[in-house]
Amino acid sequence: MTLNRRTAVIGSAIMAPVADEARSLEELLFDVSQAAMKDAGLTADEIDGIVVASNDQFDGRAIAVMAASGSVGGVDRDILSTPSASEHAFVMGVLRVASGQYETHLVVSWSPVEASSLSEAQRLGADPYFHRALPLDELSGAALQASAVLAARPEAADLAKRLSARNRANGKQAYPGVAEEGSGAAATAGRWPIEKDMVSPPVLGAVAMVIASEDCVARRGLDNVAWVRGMGWATEPGFLGDRDLSTAPALEEAARRAYAEAGLSDPRKALDVVELTDVSPYQELLAYDALGLSGKSKWRDDVLSGVFDRGGDLPVNPSGGVAAINPVFCTGLIRIAEAARQVQGKAGRHQIDNARTALGHAASGFAMMYQTVLVLGQNKDGALA
Amino acid sequence: MELLKRREAWNITYTHALGETASWFYVQIRDNAKIYGRRCGKTGRVLVPPRAFSDQTLEPTTDWVEVGPGGRIETFTIVYEEFQNLPPPPYAFGYVMLDGADTAIGGFFKGVDLTGAAKAAELLKVGTRVTTKFAEQRQGDMLDFWFERA
Amino acid sequence: MSAPRVGIIGIGQSAFKARRDDASYPDLVREAVNQALTGAGLGLDDIEAIVYSLSPDAMVGIGNAERLGVDAVGGRNKRFLRINTGGATGISSVAAAYYHIAAGACDVVMTAGADKVGECGDSQTVLNKIWDPTYERPLPLGTITMLAMSGIRYADKYGMTQEDMARVVVKNRRHASLNPNAHLRKEVTVDEVMASRCISWPIKLMDCCPQSSGGGAMVLASEKYIKQNRLDAVWITGVGHCSETYYLGDRMGRGFTADHADAYALRNSFQRAYKMAGITDPRKQVDVAELYAPFSNTEYHSIEAADLADPGGAVAGVNEGRFSIGGQIPVNASGGTLCTNAIAVTAMIRVAEVALQVSGRAGGHQVKGARIGIASGNGGDHQFFGTMVVEA
Repeated sequence: MTLNRRTAVIGSAIMAPVADEARSLEELLFDVSQAAMKDAGLTADEIDGIVVASNDQFDGRAIAVMAASGSVGGVDRDILSTPSASEHAFVMGVLRVASGQYETHLVVSWSPVEASSLSEAQRLGADPYFHRALPLDELSGAALQASAVLAARPEAADLAKRLSARNRANGKQAYPGVAEEGSGAAATAGRWPIEKDMVSPPVLGAVAMVIASEDCVARRGLDNVAWVRGMGWATEPGFLGDRDLSTAPALEEAARRAYAEAGLSDPRKALDVVELTDVSPYQELLAYDALGLSGKSKWRDDVLSGVFDRGGDLPVNPSGGVAAINPVFCTGLIRIAEAARQVQGKAGRHQIDNARTALGHAASGFAMMYQTVLVLGQNKDGALA
Repeated sequence: MELLKRREAWNITYTHALGETASWFYVQIRDNAKIYGRRCGKTGRVLVPPRAFSDQTLEPTTDWVEVGPGGRIETFTIVYEEFQNLPPPPYAFGYVMLDGADTAIGGFFKGVDLTGAAKAAELLKVGTRVTTKFAEQRQGDMLDFWFERA
Repeated sequence: MSAPRVGIIGIGQSAFKARRDDASYPDLVREAVNQALTGAGLGLDDIEAIVYSLSPDAMVGIGNAERLGVDAVGGRNKRFLRINTGGATGISSVAAAYYHIAAGACDVVMTAGADKVGECGDSQTVLNKIWDPTYERPLPLGTITMLAMSGIRYADKYGMTQEDMARVVVKNRRHASLNPNAHLRKEVTVDEVMASRCISWPIKLMDCCPQSSGGGAMVLASEKYIKQNRLDAVWITGVGHCSETYYLGDRMGRGFTADHADAYALRNSFQRAYKMAGITDPRKQVDVAELYAPFSNTEYHSIEAADLADPGGAVAGVNEGRFSIGGQIPVNASGGTLCTNAIAVTAMIRVAEVALQVSGRAGGHQVKGARIGIASGNGGDHQFFGTMVVEA
């Protein structure tokens, strides 16, 4: 799958966690969209299309794109919405620009914490036919998957603790003061085997990214962009019981497609940094396997060797990941934004030196149901090893 | 073949941050029985209800402008059907461009006999002058005021 | 560089009814999917990606209900995402599927969905929740009241009576009586419409769309795939989307971009689709139109936004029979949204019906010789508009 033309991330803005209540959600979306366009060096008039993503039940609005549309510049403009996942907005944006009918796209996602219970809102995602009576929210789904992983690989328990500590440390370094507050472990009950300090309580967040075509990049003479070298996305089936939760076939498929498009055969060699959606450290381990970074039998050796630590050969989640800051619905798009910023040298305090090629992994839904993989690079073409 | 059904109700409460702009607007209604709009920095258009930015120009709004109490009906409807969780019919509501505003704000129309629809519609037709009435006890929300024919 | 051509090779739609107690929500999706695949002569394995069409979750009572639709569309391990633009969702989903192919990502993409609006309890309650809690939620806004207010402004601006509106209903019901998939198929007279009870002045019960349950699906393919496999296809030659301000009150007063009486963004959306399709004179070039109009009065500004009549001219056009089967440009030969509205897929059915028309497969409601058709979808508070041009 080589798209008809190349696309690149030329700007982004991440606002998470957002602590102040001085802004309404619409005002926050206005700010994050303006910030991303500014970062990209574009005005709203230069945006050809927009794709947004949010969850109606989190937002408390039955068609969330309505009130948000004006904020992100959607009036008199072409705007779509992909409520399935924040990362799907990015996928749709890339496809529309690659089609040749759009030169630029703005992609925006957000996740408020105004619902009396996000857990309750998530539970509405369980079907009323068989599963609604169960306490099945996203953390439970992750826990069920974690227990499957643990059953398959008992060493995962210790490794999970270690990864959790590493992610928290990364978060403190990347977003000091902010990530620390977010890691109020007492606020989030664990679900065995996921322990309390392995996950962060939900926070308000928003993220916006600007995608441009290769023609637009050339015309504007932009020299610091993150090229989309490969993009893959896939889904698991809807019923957890239909899946072997100790595996992640949809992620393997998404990675296979992204790597094939990028011409990448050895991810450990080719990638300089990875931002993955660590719903919990158990999901992080599964992602290592499915992304071809570390097979299950190698987990112990690799994790203990420090190769995935911030100072290691292939840093994972230098931003601290979801463990550090958890704006639930838009965490996927944030991973892609973090990966793009690494490639652009805009990752600030958590910049990895010489990050030429980055992987952004987004997962959404119960037990990583939707999987999306982006390979981003400094060069439009050329080998990625 | 016995076909079963299951009853489910969605029950989540939301506490939405209104932000500074909307909050100030409602405080003026609650405390002073006054309605204000915000001027778009680029076109000068006074937006009522107020917003921090104009979605037409994507520019921040600048100053507060007091509007009303008089105004003009821009559109209306009269509801005769009962809908769950909405008020018992009949009732009339619609949009009014208050004096000094460039956009219209929603509200109920009261003081018109709604039993004869055509007659009532004539009394509420587009262009009719109205005035804003405020409740004695106000909470700081849209139901603190309504419109009556001037 | 020009994008590859994208064709429609399979269509599935339910015979829409008020309730489908015999089928779960995923069952309805599967029903439409099977039809579309059969029509295309393909199996689930041939589908490379799915775009799932689903509007407010609250209508089906399941959060992110598309997840339950994954198996119904054979989506395991496949590329899958969902679109929601309110009532326009169905046409936006077809557009999203189009972009998968136009981008060069896939050769065969399916879009599918279903709705069970009749099971919802009260669709207007859900639809009240689409309004912003900051300013408009306390008002008893719903789609009926919102579009009644549009009708009031249209009438004030151009002239329109309730009898005129009734003639739209009579036209569409006559068309629906010829369409076995339509929900409301019983013909009515102007007198019967006028005698139906007032819901929200000036809209009466018979001026309103029904709450329908059923599914829809379409299979799209690249020109390369179609030629290689010698498939029958009709072509999507124009696609456009455009949006208005969310604030109803901003579409009134002074200095507005859009008047709530009209459908400004729909007009813009059609302009984009027409430009892409090379349509310069719609009144001469368009043979058939499926325009999303859930209430009789909204058909007028939709016809005008499609430039099939001058602003304010659609009323006379309908009254003269211009837009009936047998007239110059039949609008909603299927009966349209007024006779069938399964919200999540209604706008997809508009495209499906136009595709059936230009391929000569519309059966009893076929418009003779139709070769170029247009479709539209509306979503949000008359806010999001998607349009398409489909040609033989």
